[in-house]
Amino acid sequence: MDGVSFAVARGELVGLLGPNGSGKSTVARLVMRLLSPSGGRVLLDGVDVAGCRHGDYARRVAYVPQESRAAFAFTAMETVLMGRGPHTGAMGFESEGDHRTALAALERVDAVSLAGVLLDELSGGERQRVILARALAQEADLLVLDEPSSSLDIRHQYDLYRLLRGLARREGRTCLCTSHDVNVAAAYCDRLVVLGGGRVAAIGRPADVLTADLLEQVYGIRADVVTQPDGRLVVLPRIE
Amino acid sequence: MKQLTAKRYLVTVFGAMLVWLAVAAVALLVGAEDIRSFDADALWRVIDYRLERVLMAALVGAALATSGVAFQALLRNPLAEPYVLGVSGGASLGVILGSIFLPGAMRAVTILRAGQAVVTLDTVGLCGFLMALLTIAGVYGMAQRRGRLDPYRLILTGVVVNAFFAAAIMLTAALAGDRLRNEIIFWLMGGLGGLGSRWEEMGLAAPLIVAGVAVFAVQAKGFNLLAFGEDTAASLGLHVERHRRTAFVVASVLAGTSVSLAGPIGFVGLIVPHILRMIVGPDHRLLVPLSVFGGAVFLTVADRLVQMIPYEVAGGLPVGVVTALCGVPFFIILLRRGRRMGGGAT
Repeated sequence: MDGVSFAVARGELVGLLGPNGSGKSTVARLVMRLLSPSGGRVLLDGVDVAGCRHGDYARRVAYVPQESRAAFAFTAMETVLMGRGPHTGAMGFESEGDHRTALAALERVDAVSLAGVLLDELSGGERQRVILARALAQEADLLVLDEPSSSLDIRHQYDLYRLLRGLARREGRTCLCTSHDVNVAAAYCDRLVVLGGGRVAAIGRPADVLTADLLEQVYGIRADVVTQPDGRLVVLPRIE
Repeated sequence: MKQLTAKRYLVTVFGAMLVWLAVAAVALLVGAEDIRSFDADALWRVIDYRLERVLMAALVGAALATSGVAFQALLRNPLAEPYVLGVSGGASLGVILGSIFLPGAMRAVTILRAGQAVVTLDTVGLCGFLMALLTIAGVYGMAQRRGRLDPYRLILTGVVVNAFFAAAIMLTAALAGDRLRNEIIFWLMGGLGGLGSRWEEMGLAAPLIVAGVAVFAVQAKGFNLLAFGEDTAASLGLHVERHRRTAFVVASVLAGTSVSLAGPIGFVGLIVPHILRMIVGPDHRLLVPLSVFGGAVFLTVADRLVQMIPYEVAGGLPVGVVTALCGVPFFIILLRRGRRMGGGAT
């Protein structure tokens, strides 16, 4: 990757798109400090993230990975409570307030009824909601989601992004999502960052960014970009 | 589903301690010899002997069980146990070589403490401990990959190291004389009894074990986070590399100490964490302190059972035999009943 540079404003839902191997996950992992850049910096509120302490960073940035499996049989509620980890002390004792925050997070993702269920007994969509609840329980301002809807069915994909947009609009949380699905991202994201060939191919609002030319240049597909009467943007690849 | 408050923690831990105290009291008073008819002198001797074994069982049981919890969390594998990384092999070889090559005069080192107290240390056990430390350093070195301790490499290194020590021990046993061979085989089964008093060794081991358990108690929150993988754990604020290194060293030292004290007693480190998980769930903040007392109770009960077998039937049976024999059916029963065992894919 060379010359990837972009900024995300507070309260934005930004979609990070690009073909396989374009560096979407790499960018997500760089923001999460799971990787360190060989050149350049990652800045959070203008400050280089490399200098941040582990505990501090976890209170400001939350991560939703693509898939989650627990090595041991934790329940959904126990999983969400772990999101309070950055806020509890060394021993990890939780307070009544922590419990309320966790429950509220489950409410926001509509998963309170799943609280006592083992994580591994949940469906993929339910599990992703619980993991998102855990990220919400962290009370971080920035959420980084790595292909959060890739293992979800079409309804849950749209539900998840609608939820993220709600978080951005109503709570001012910033969300950075990598995505494979151009249409879902176009429907909900405020802005899209499209990576291609190791650099940023385009940044801007979905309507401005998603053009047939860009799709051909970046993904190598021939597609029609259609705007529906109600304003929806749809990418329709041509079937040879 | 309730949160773990400091109060609930203390109540649970205190409750577990009471259970252990009750079991220990029974173990002191109940035995093959009916002590009600004894005179004061004989009574004191029997209680003293039993007290030593009960405390030894508590120390070794606690060390093995907590080490087992740590290794299962570190390697994210419910089948992990304290000896998985080869420490027991190293300690065993150390003890065996020590008992072969140390001349009789050096078997016990006598230290004159300021004043009158005379402390006698069993150097053979120390040999085992030193070998354990060397093994830990070796495994640590071999399992490093780009400056990080890799769990998969750890397991593979452990397999290799275990195989090496097993071969070395077999070679030693094969070359040794009959009497020594019998001693080696017997020792390898693991037992809490021994010739002479073991108070000094326990005095040395106890602070080490207590310190190790204390470290785990603080690391427990991190063990929970690690269950979801390193990326998630790091994103939730855990310093993954530092946590892992510390846990590995402490768990290995606890295992090495146990083996140096009582030989490689098996099953405790594997089964006690699982039994506790079935009772209280997989929360390591509870598992760590509870396995201290759970391990102590398990080993105390096993040892008492072993001591109640009449000498003519099977005298001085090592407790390691009982832990395996009793552990398996108990485990099967709980397996059929319990739901919260193990977890998803590693």
